[in-house]
Amino acid sequence: MSDEEHHFESKADAGASKTYPQQAGTIRKNGYIVIKARPCKVVEVSTSKTGKHGHAKCHFVGIDIFTAKKLEDIVPSSHNCDVPHVNRTDYQLIDISEDGFVSLLTESGSTKDDLRLPTDENLLTQIKEGFAEGKDLIVTVMSAMGEEQICALKDIGPK
Amino acid sequence: MQGEPSDLGHLQSIMRAIELACSSIQMNFNPSEAEATILSLSQTPHPYQACKFILEHSQVADARFHAVAAVRDAALREWSVLTSVDKRSLISFCLCYVMQHASLPEGYVQTKVSSVAAQLMKRGWLEFAAAEKEAFFVEVKQSIIGRHGVDVQISGINFLASLVSEFSPSTSTAIGLPREFHEQCRVSLELDYLKTFYSWAQEAALGVTNRIVESDSAVPEAKVCTAALCLMLQILNWDFQHYSSDGARSSINVFSVDIRYNGSSAIRSECILVQLGPSWRDILISSGHVGWLLSVYGALRLKFSSEGYWLDCPIAVSARKLIVQLCSLTGTIFPSDNHQMQEHHLVQLLSGIVQWIHPPDEISKAIECGRSESEMLDGCRALLAVATITSPFVFDGLLKSICHFGTISLLSALMSNILKSPMINNPEEETWSCVARDILLDTWTALLATAECSNGIAFLPSEGISAAASLFALIVESEVKAASTSAFNDDDGSDYFQASISGMDERLSSYGLIARASIEFSVPLLTRLLSERFAWLHQGRGTADPTATLEELYSLLLICGHVLADEGEGELPLVPEAIQTQFVDITEANKHPVVILSCSILYFAEKSVDPEIRASIFSPRLMEAVIWFLARWSCTYLLPPEDNRDSNNSLVQDTSQQFRKTICDFFGEHGQGKHALDAIVRISMAALISYPGEKDLQELICRQLLRGLVRRKDICVHLLVLDSWHNLANSFANDRTFFSLNAALQRSLAQTLVLQASGMKHFEASLYVRDLMSHTTAYLVELSGKNNLISVAQLPDTIMMVSCLMERLRGAASATEPRTQKAVYDLGISVMSPVLVLIEAYKHESAVVYLLVKFVAQWVDGQIIYLEAQETAVLVNFCMSLLKLYSSHNIGQISMSRSSTLINEAKAEKFKCLRALLQLLASLCSKDLVDFSSEPIESQGISIGQVVYVGLHIITPLVSMDSLKYPKLCHDYFSLLSHMLEVYPEMVAQLNAEAFVHIMATLDFGLHHQDIEIVDKCLRALKALASYHYKETIAGRLGLGLHAAGFKDSDGKFLEGIISRFLFSLLQLLLFEDYSPDLVSAAADALLPLILCEQGLYQQLGNELIERQTDPEHKSRLANALHALVSSNRLSSTLDRINYQRFRKNLLGFLIEVRGFLRKA
Repeated sequence: MSDEEHHFESKADAGASKTYPQQAGTIRKNGYIVIKARPCKVVEVSTSKTGKHGHAKCHFVGIDIFTAKKLEDIVPSSHNCDVPHVNRTDYQLIDISEDGFVSLLTESGSTKDDLRLPTDENLLTQIKEGFAEGKDLIVTVMSAMGEEQICALKDIGPK
Repeated sequence: MQGEPSDLGHLQSIMRAIELACSSIQMNFNPSEAEATILSLSQTPHPYQACKFILEHSQVADARFHAVAAVRDAALREWSVLTSVDKRSLISFCLCYVMQHASLPEGYVQTKVSSVAAQLMKRGWLEFAAAEKEAFFVEVKQSIIGRHGVDVQISGINFLASLVSEFSPSTSTAIGLPREFHEQCRVSLELDYLKTFYSWAQEAALGVTNRIVESDSAVPEAKVCTAALCLMLQILNWDFQHYSSDGARSSINVFSVDIRYNGSSAIRSECILVQLGPSWRDILISSGHVGWLLSVYGALRLKFSSEGYWLDCPIAVSARKLIVQLCSLTGTIFPSDNHQMQEHHLVQLLSGIVQWIHPPDEISKAIECGRSESEMLDGCRALLAVATITSPFVFDGLLKSICHFGTISLLSALMSNILKSPMINNPEEETWSCVARDILLDTWTALLATAECSNGIAFLPSEGISAAASLFALIVESEVKAASTSAFNDDDGSDYFQASISGMDERLSSYGLIARASIEFSVPLLTRLLSERFAWLHQGRGTADPTATLEELYSLLLICGHVLADEGEGELPLVPEAIQTQFVDITEANKHPVVILSCSILYFAEKSVDPEIRASIFSPRLMEAVIWFLARWSCTYLLPPEDNRDSNNSLVQDTSQQFRKTICDFFGEHGQGKHALDAIVRISMAALISYPGEKDLQELICRQLLRGLVRRKDICVHLLVLDSWHNLANSFANDRTFFSLNAALQRSLAQTLVLQASGMKHFEASLYVRDLMSHTTAYLVELSGKNNLISVAQLPDTIMMVSCLMERLRGAASATEPRTQKAVYDLGISVMSPVLVLIEAYKHESAVVYLLVKFVAQWVDGQIIYLEAQETAVLVNFCMSLLKLYSSHNIGQISMSRSSTLINEAKAEKFKCLRALLQLLASLCSKDLVDFSSEPIESQGISIGQVVYVGLHIITPLVSMDSLKYPKLCHDYFSLLSHMLEVYPEMVAQLNAEAFVHIMATLDFGLHHQDIEIVDKCLRALKALASYHYKETIAGRLGLGLHAAGFKDSDGKFLEGIISRFLFSLLQLLLFEDYSPDLVSAAADALLPLILCEQGLYQQLGNELIERQTDPEHKSRLANALHALVSSNRLSSTLDRINYQRFRKNLLGFLIEVRGFLRKA
């Protein structure tokens, strides 16, 4: 077998683009996809044919990862779809301001103050109560296609 | 309501209350109160007098209905306390009631009363003396033969019908008795009564025949006749077990399901064989029963035009059903006179039936003009029944004795007529012609499948062969026509489509049988039809729309596949007998029709490699058919294994040898075999990369065609030297091309490629696997070493890449065999640290984590038993760090999303991961069971038990009660838990309190699970725990120590000891909750050591239970039972087999004794 070239090398650099093309036929359930310019998580894929002897097409049902809206799309399975670059970063929570913004500590030691508290009731109370009790909280921020949202919370500190 | 109320006023008040309740239920006014009133009637002790009063006096039919239902419930409940006079009087009251009120309009009350009579009679069947039963039946017989008028006659017959259905195990009502009771009743009725009932029904029907035949319009006697016919039909449908031909079945245990048909004959339509013994001969055969039945139906047929009778009127329907049923009569009822009597019987039946189906064209025309098709369908069913019990020769000869044509000719005439019907190819509706076609196809299958088994030597009469030939021609013509007309239909994606595929598969295999019956004709026909279409495609390329031709080819290829080869179902399919035994005279291989047909398809398929031709001709769907055909064909014909040639079957040897030689030479090692294999690999390769996104096609190639090839070692050897295969392996290993395949298919392909190493030597195989996966491992190592991994890892293309590569690794790991084990081990070792790094990097991407964990589980599963102690240590350490890492990411994590769907999906993904981790632990456990290493692993200081406990310890906090709702996870968790507790109970003592409490909480949860298997596992775990503790403490050691004694938890709350807690909750479960009776012995095994450990607590719990009883009689019964539970049957305080067995008996007796009144209280 030849090993003259390393085809598998990753060509993209970090943060290069917001989306990435991928063949529709290879997108699986639980993957990500852009439908109507929104980043979605795929919750259902089914295939069908255009006419008996035509080509296959994929039917995607996705849920917008920020707004939770349900979106659908049909794409010929040999065509490319856009897959969003979904990034998740952990920050330590250092403050909650009264106007509904949080103050986060980045890995480099600076602070990030432009993120609002989540709208989800459950997560919101968890954050507020945990912070009030003085726990060390790590929040996970999900970002894709220029939008950001707090999506998870973890308590690492002592009680 | 009090027991046995006697004064009239009281009875009337009860009646009014019930009537009121019935009407308020009907008007839906306060229904729950009304229901309670009605229920209270049946729950009163001895409500019989009140019920009888209601039955006789109430004007409200519903009230009577509920009264008789109450009689049933109360009598079954109180059966053991009723005197035998009471019992008999209840039954005769019901019987008399039915007879006396036979003319009342409310049929449902009558039916209920007679079924209650039947149930009570069954309940007492084994205790009544023969004379007592006789007394009931004398009355019944009087009414059936018509002494008391038509209505009473019908009631009598209906009573027998309920009785027969009560006694038949499949239709009996539950009366709370063991199955043996039902079985004894069944045998008794079958041997002593069924024939008598049949003769009464005959007598009743005979008695009214003249009235029916003579009158021009419908007479009430017709109903008697209908009821009698139904009863006869019901009796013939009885599952007779004592007359079967071999006699062996009577001794088979009653719980076995007997299989009438062997798997090879795929009969779909219902056809129940009626196997009867010689004692039935006089009433069914020699009494002229058939002649009478046919004459009655014949007379009815003439009346169909007149008023009151029509083709589907009840009497006609039941007469026809009985006729069809009589066609399937077999067994020792016919003497062993060379089938003469049976043939005579069948000829007589057919002489009547033939009018229903002959001449076929006129009949189908009449049906199209609006006549009912039921008579014609019943005729087809009769043919099916006859075909099931006769050989093809006898089948064909039956009609010849009365007509100028044979039965097979009639069958094929019928079939061709139906195939020509315009309705046949309408997939939306199940039309009569489809039903008829399926029944007739089953008839053919029944005829031909028996012939297949008998080695096929001249099994069909020559007319039969030509009939099959012309029929096959028609079938193909009709299928092709259907294909071309449906080519433009765009009806896909529906659920119906899937159902019709499996239906079509069954149909095609019947077609295959017909084609094989006339193989000399059918194979050349298929060759001709195919080559015509190949030519059309080439001529019309680029100009005409090929869609119709493509669809025709699609269905022709499917038919060819079914004709030439059988489905292997994992085994190596042989060349079908019919093909082996025919064409013996053809010695030149390239003139052999099967070879010509195979070659023409191969040649056509090979053209798909040319991109230009592929684009213009080979649509994805056509390619699917091509690949499917190649997969099926290559399993049977390609490079046949050498040792097949010296088959031991001397019967077929001489004829098939010739054939085998021809085919071996042609598609064998020294003929065209290698070329064909090469072609197949090239076709697959081209198809894999040039149909992007065609998942179905790619799946067929990966999962069926290629997988089928590497399944055979001798083919692997040939693949090894093929350039085309090297190409495939090379581009899989080194190009990006195959990343366009779905990741799951890449896994399958990796598995196939690694499996192919079974054709190599040890050293070569290792090298080959290493080369195949070297880029994969290199990529993962490189990626995991990047500084900016965290941000690179989250890029979509990296995620896709990592997913694909992990799937490939998993595929390779799943193909681990002794020859490749070392290479796969090295493979895993080289990605060990990248896997850990990636689990860290993808901690938010559970889909990727799942793939990583799944690979590790698969890898460990394949490797563990082979590993030496040193290697095991490496592997175990790796697994532990993986578990720790995983758990540190997931404990205390709360994910949120606005979408509940997304939350559920995320949870489901987490549980899949968790399950994979449990599987990982389970495969670690297997090291203690099977171990091929040269020195024991303990030499390296590893104890598998300890390792797995540490693993469990890490994982259990993640297993929440919520997650145990996922059945698969739940199953795996409890399997692992019960295994661990059974095999290493001593390790439990070492767990810390928190982990221990958690494990015990899940065990408690499992005890109350509705899945029997899970409860059983938990009980086994409990038994292991308790018996360990008992044995240890007897020996003066600590046992479970603090866990058993109870302790204070971190909040200062005192927690009861584990043994006492489970003793309490198991007793609670056994006495007061619902569970399956199958669990009692497992529960006994767990309860015995628990009681032995905590005898004091057992006494205390027992006393509390006794104190709670209010009824002094119950108190003493309970006290005695509790005492007997631990003392009877010479129960000792050891934990040995005999003692466990004794305790099982004790517990069963205890539960029977006390559970009833304890639960009611």
